Formats: sequence, C-alpha cells, structure tokens
Amino acid sequence: MAQAISTRSLTKKFGPREALQGVDFSVEVGSVFGVIGPNGAGKTTTMRCLLDIIRPTSGEVRVLGKDPRAGGPELRRRIGYLPGELFLEGRVTGRTLLAHYQAISGPVAPGRIDGLAERLGLDLDRHTRKLSKGNKQKLGLVQAFMHDPELLVLDEPTSGLDPLVQQEFHAMVREAQHNGQTIFLSSHVLSEVQQTADTVAILRDGRIIAVESVSGLRKRAVRRVRFTANGITAHDAGALLDGVPGVGHLEVLDSDGSITLSATVEGAIQPLVRALGALELTDLVLEEPDLEEAVLKMYSSPADTDQREAAR
Amino acid sequence: MSTTLPLFRRAFFDSWRSTVAWAAGLAAATFLYLPLYPSIGGSAQMQNMIDALPAEMTKALNYDQIATGPGYTQATLFGLIGFLLMTIASVGWGAAAVGGDEESGQLELTLAHGVTRVQVVLERALSLFLRVVLLAVLVLVLVRLLNDPAQLAIRPENLFGAAVLFAGLALLSGTAALCAGAVSGRRTYGLAAGAAVGVLGYVFNAVGRQSEDVEWLLNLSPYHWAYGNSPVANGADWAAAGWLSGISAALVAVAAFAVDRRDVGT
Repeated sequence: MAQAISTRSLTKKFGPREALQGVDFSVEVGSVFGVIGPNGAGKTTTMRCLLDIIRPTSGEVRVLGKDPRAGGPELRRRIGYLPGELFLEGRVTGRTLLAHYQAISGPVAPGRIDGLAERLGLDLDRHTRKLSKGNKQKLGLVQAFMHDPELLVLDEPTSGLDPLVQQEFHAMVREAQHNGQTIFLSSHVLSEVQQTADTVAILRDGRIIAVESVSGLRKRAVRRVRFTANGITAHDAGALLDGVPGVGHLEVLDSDGSITLSATVEGAIQPLVRALGALELTDLVLEEPDLEEAVLKMYSSPADTDQREAAR
Repeated sequence: MSTTLPLFRRAFFDSWRSTVAWAAGLAAATFLYLPLYPSIGGSAQMQNMIDALPAEMTKALNYDQIATGPGYTQATLFGLIGFLLMTIASVGWGAAAVGGDEESGQLELTLAHGVTRVQVVLERALSLFLRVVLLAVLVLVLVRLLNDPAQLAIRPENLFGAAVLFAGLALLSGTAALCAGAVSGRRTYGLAAGAAVGVLGYVFNAVGRQSEDVEWLLNLSPYHWAYGNSPVANGADWAAAGWLSGISAALVAVAAFAVDRRDVGT
C-alpha cells in the first residue's frame, strides 16, 4: 500500500541536544496513525520536519511521495497542520483569520468553514485574541481541516477541548479517514488516540520504541472483571477463576450467600466467558481494556520491548 | 481561493490601527510645529536667541538655518520630531514583521501553508515599505497645505525630495530591524538593530558636524546622507536616496536568505 509519510534514520540535533535519534516509521495512505510519548520525546520535532518548518540533520523524509524541502508550497497545500502550541494574537475575527489561511492553502469548498465551526461550536465573529484556549484550538482545527487535505498532521489536537468537542473531533477524524485522507496525530496519552488511531507509535527520547496496532494492544491489554453470583462459595469461585488462563489479582468477597469477585484478565476473554457461563450471575462488569497500562509497560521496560520486537 | 499577495494584504490591512495611530501622531506634530514658524523661526528675536546659543548646540540640533521657512521645517519636522516618530514606527513594524511573528509562534503556522519563506519576507517588507511611504505622503501633503498659511516658502520640488529622503531614512532603520529580527528570530534584536541605526545615525551627524577632526563620522551617518545638504531648502541629494533604498533592499534580501536557510520556531 502507498505511504503517506515515511522517515528513515531521521535525526535532528539542536546544538549538542539530539531531539531525534534515528526515527523510522511509515504511515499508510488512508490510515490514522498516532504517535504518543512524554513531553520532549520528539513528537513536535518530527511533525515540524514533515512540514519543512525545521530541517533534519540527517535521514530521509517523504511526505505524500515528496521531500518536504523540495515539495515546497504545492506539497504543503495538500497538508493540514495543527501546531502543538497555537498562538493567535491578531486583532482580527476568526472569520478574517481563516480567510487569510484559506488564501494560502488548498481550495476550500463553499460553506465548509461555517460547517466545521458549527460542528465544533465556534463563534467565528469574535476576535481571536479574546478566545479561550479551547476556542483557539477549534479555530486551529478548522484551518487544518477546511481544505480537506490529503494528509492531516495534528499535534496534540484534543488539548484544551472539552469531552463533547473531543467526541466531535473523533467523528471528524473518522470521516476524514472515510474520505481517504490520512491522519497523523500525536498525544502524550494513549487514551486520546486509541479511539481513532489504527496504529500507534511510541516515541521516547527521540526514538520510536514500538509501533503497535491498536487492536494488537487491545488484545494484549489487561481488563478488569467484576461479578456477583449466587449459590457458590468463595472458595469454589476462586478455584474456578484460577483455572482460566490470563486471570490474576483475584479478590473474593462473601456476603449473605452471594459472592462478589473481582480480577484482572489478560489476553483473550473467551475462556473467561465460558467459565462464567456455569455461574448464576446477578451482576457482571467487564471493563474496556486499559491500553494505557499496556503501553506503560513498554515505557518502563524498553529491554522487554526490544525482546518482543526481536521475537517477531 | 487565490488572491494576489495574501501575506502582504494581511500584514498591511491587519495593522491599520497602528498605521492610523502613527499617522495621527505625525499629523499632530506637523500641525503643532509648522504654524508656529511666523512667530518663532522667522522673527528677529528668535534669530538673536539662536545666535546666543553655543554654536555646537545649534549644529547638533540643526538649528543653524532655523530663521528660514525651509530651514525651520527641515530642522523641526523632518530632522527631529518627524524623524523620531517615523523611525519608531518603522522599527516597530520591521521588528514585528518576521522576528516578532516567529517569537509569538505565529510564523510556524503561516509557513506550514502554501507559501515560501522568501515570499513571506518580501511581502511583509512590501507592507513595511508601503506603510512608511503612506506616512511620508501624509507629511508631504500636510506641509504643502501649511506652506502658505505658515509662510514657509518651501519649493514643491524640494519638499518632494525631502519627503522621499524622509521615507528612505525611516525605511533604512525599519529594514535593519526586519533583517536582524529575521536572522535571529527575536523581536528584541530587531528593535535593537533598528534603533541603533536610527540613533547612531543621528548622533554621528550631531557629533560629526562639530569639528573637522570628527567629520568622518558624517560618512557613517545615514541621517547625514539624507539631510546633510538640508533638502527642504536645497533639494534632495538623489544619490543619497539611492544609497538608502539600495541598502534597505539589500537588508531585505539578507533577511529572506537567512530565513530561507534556517529552522523556524526553535
């Protein structure tokens, strides 16, 4: 499949500091690719290299098949970019500012700006410098999405947005993907990208330490299960669950002939469901897997990750 | 949507408040100084007072010709208060054009769009140029209007030449600010460079006129290149106008070259 972005041995030095130490990854056309990592890991530097705002020290970058440096304005017209820190200080309205960005980016369909502003709940007639952080972020999202670019590069897109608007943003990302657009976004937490991204790359200290599909993470991730059942003793329930592969951290509470049991489940859930089928359940909660935990494991032990990579 | 010179339009029209404010300031200065000429500059009493001042002082302030209408206009408006206001306006705009925009974080987003860096610098320099020219035209028109009522007796062609040099001198400080701001990515460096060109030019002129030993300072003073022969009275030195605009153009070229080659916003 064609690649919207690819980098090979991308490095960037700022004086003695190596912000990127050989970053390799590729993003397929039409996919949603999330890069996560703590502040200072190199997410913003990587994105700025894609837009030719900063120039790599060495290595190769291809964006929509072109070198960003050589691609020039024609290439950037095909990209929508949201910077990590958005500063909009002019004494102009959002509408005027967007008209300016419209004049220097790809063609914008009529009514598109108002449509996006309405979806995000943004008032375009207020002066930009009077806008709250969240509203500035919305303005930034509108200018990134308005010309329906082939590639969206979004640095911490949901920062400052309230949960409802975040949901709307996720819907916008899914629609863009449905239209064949490619989305490359970053966050310092996984929970913000796991809803939309197909693949996540984990960046730490200027290196990609893992690239995982979200479904893969989900499979390996740990869920919590909690249920209440009648007609079984705490001991028997414990023994039953103990026999299920991937179950751990068992805790059983016995009260008045019913028991409440909580545990963690790693990997497939089918064996657990089969075991639970034999019980007289009165309540069952099987939580969404906590991908954050799965990723934190990678953060904390890069050696393990290397082994896993090597085992592939 | 394609509009011509989108960056110029934004830089020019979004700053209209600032342009209007400086225009108002220059107009006020013009209306304050020039109508006073008949009662101050032209009077014998004033001439006696000027004669009583130390010669060094009158030379430093360019007050040696203050007894004529053109000399008075040259010394007070073009040489002092107008020069000051124009230089500050031009330096402020020049420093903000690229360095200030980068420092505030807004240049990054502009460069992420379909523009080249050279285009950004050139269109913003054009906006600086036009705003300075607008202010100079305003002063030209106001002086022309006050010429008869204030009995200044300035010849129109001399006034035109003086206005050109007035703009050229301010532009030199402004493009120095733009260039230093663009090279460093810092507004403050731009302000410092622009102010240095303006202030040193003025000081070198004031000191250089004191004695033949320090006359060489005059050669380093853009202020002296422009105003050395008192253009309002004697007509413009067009070679000086050429030098001023040539150096300004070179500074803009250096700015474009520097921004094109470096990382932005780091």
